[in-house]
Amino acid sequence: MDRPFELNTTISNLRDLKASDLSPYDAVYLGNITCRLYEANLLEHPDDLREAIATVKDQGLSVYVTSYAAPRNDFLPKLRKAIAVAVEAGADAVEVHNLGVLKIVHETHPGLPVHIGGFANVYTDAGAEVLKGFGAVRITPNYELSLEEIGQIQRQVGLPMELLVHGKMPLGISDHCFLLEYEEAWGMKCPDLCQQDLFLKQGDWAMKSVGKGVLSGRDVCMLEHLPHLVADGYTRFRIETVSESPAYRLDVGRVYREALERACGGTVDMEERWWDTLRRHARIGLCNGFYFGKSGMEYLGVRPDAVASALRRPVADATDYQPEGAMR
Amino acid sequence: MPGFFTREIRPTLLAPAGSPSAAMAALQAGADAIYVGLKGWSRGGAKGELTSAELLDALAAARANGRALQVALNTIPRQSERRYLVRRVAELIDLGIDGVIVNDAGLMAELHTRYPDLRITASIGCAAMNEADVAFYRDLGADAVVLPGTLSSDELYAAAQVPDVRIEVMIHMVEEFIVLGKCWMPSYYRLNPTPLTELQGEGSRLVGSMKRGGAGVCFKVCEQPWVLSLNGRSVAQRLLPSRQISPINELSDILDAGVDVVKLQGRSLSPDLLAPLVGRYRAAIDAWAGGGALPAFQEPPLGSSWTVARR
Repeated sequence: MDRPFELNTTISNLRDLKASDLSPYDAVYLGNITCRLYEANLLEHPDDLREAIATVKDQGLSVYVTSYAAPRNDFLPKLRKAIAVAVEAGADAVEVHNLGVLKIVHETHPGLPVHIGGFANVYTDAGAEVLKGFGAVRITPNYELSLEEIGQIQRQVGLPMELLVHGKMPLGISDHCFLLEYEEAWGMKCPDLCQQDLFLKQGDWAMKSVGKGVLSGRDVCMLEHLPHLVADGYTRFRIETVSESPAYRLDVGRVYREALERACGGTVDMEERWWDTLRRHARIGLCNGFYFGKSGMEYLGVRPDAVASALRRPVADATDYQPEGAMR
Repeated sequence: MPGFFTREIRPTLLAPAGSPSAAMAALQAGADAIYVGLKGWSRGGAKGELTSAELLDALAAARANGRALQVALNTIPRQSERRYLVRRVAELIDLGIDGVIVNDAGLMAELHTRYPDLRITASIGCAAMNEADVAFYRDLGADAVVLPGTLSSDELYAAAQVPDVRIEVMIHMVEEFIVLGKCWMPSYYRLNPTPLTELQGEGSRLVGSMKRGGAGVCFKVCEQPWVLSLNGRSVAQRLLPSRQISPINELSDILDAGVDVVKLQGRSLSPDLLAPLVGRYRAAIDAWAGGGALPAFQEPPLGSSWTVARR
């Protein structure tokens, strides 16, 4: 990579791509990993995918094609097609969350660079080493890992780790969409259901629902920690915008572009307008994810005011809660 | 999918055992094999795990009945913990266990390299869902791959066509909203370390992280009511969907698909609940193997209280 860092983001369909100003970004992941029925999912529409790859490349950006997080057998033919289109159209890499798909890519396109996605469950250096043998050139470790653990993997395996530095963090993937239960009551059908502003809430605990996917309610925010990340040798950064508007994608991208350029230049100063922008776009507030070894919804740093609402647990006595007989 | 079964080997009935008494109950009810969790190292938390002494008792019971025993080591250990666990596996092999159940690709590859004769099963936590997943884990050294009972018989048939690997189906289980192995909602809420006593301070489980063996608050996510907010308005209060599945009446189709192992979830089950569950699957498999029609079974076999939290 020639540039000092890469800032990338995610886009699910052609409509969203055409509506987005990608000027803050160096690269884009194309496709929606959660659902085949997501509106005009690029993974299901080869012509759209070709056009999208060309559109991104025309802007001088790197383009990656992602793939499903939990594919069943009937997903695989379309996924093979999408990967073939990615290769034909000149995508720079594919992102893989499923290890069966990794095997398919490795066998059908052995020279194709593969990025390992967060749902592939890379928790250890040993796991990363195995995937490196299948063509992985970059890894997004499981989101549960701390920076200490991620750094250890990066040093031992010698592959760059990609970090989600802003946006709603994936928390789980389902085989079912419970939103379909509400088609009649809400007077809307799939694929419009998951385009709505949907949250699951319990007290101040919130998660965003995107049908088959669950995301953090709070936006992960690593803005004030960027100088440390850069100093620690991280160079690939993602702003997760799969469920966000083009305005979010642009505004947040601009903040991070400016902040990363400043961090790479050795400056640590923060601009108040950056925080204004991030707060404006964060519906529920901000968190740090798991990077500091704490629960994912906590925020650590010198800007605790960045969190819109005080952290309160939904059940006061929930510490180490475990129902009698509970186990797996 | 062909309409008849072409394999000559009778499927194995693999039952859970969360205690020596549960192990005995499962064996007496007709389980061909049992699986147990080793204290500190099985996915989902401490309850239902066996100490080394209890494991020896369960192993002796299995051996006395001519049956097999697998050990679930399906947390994802950290680096220092992994070194310890790999050594521990050597001790388990010496004791005479019949195999281990593993969750992490890295650990699986290492165990296969160090102990090439060890039978390794890719855990349900590996989240294998398709035939390519099965082939991937086989390539890493898995002898068997566990698939969820939510897959169709056509999907199981496709998986069973992958050569040189056995297919296990978790036919009796609680289906959660989130795919097993793809969830970290609990740790988003709460994550804190608790010592792994077996490591004497060198390792820890993380309460809230299922994949690291610390269930903790896990079950709150699925068992607490959530307010569903649509465009800023509260529109419903609901649980995340989950259900008990135990499609024993479709067992013929599942076995015809070429499944090698019928696996039951439930290391929390007491002997009095486990024995009849094992017994009905024993009867169903025997009826299928004898070429006769399966008797009609009532579903679900366990009460509605057997949920995500209490399986």
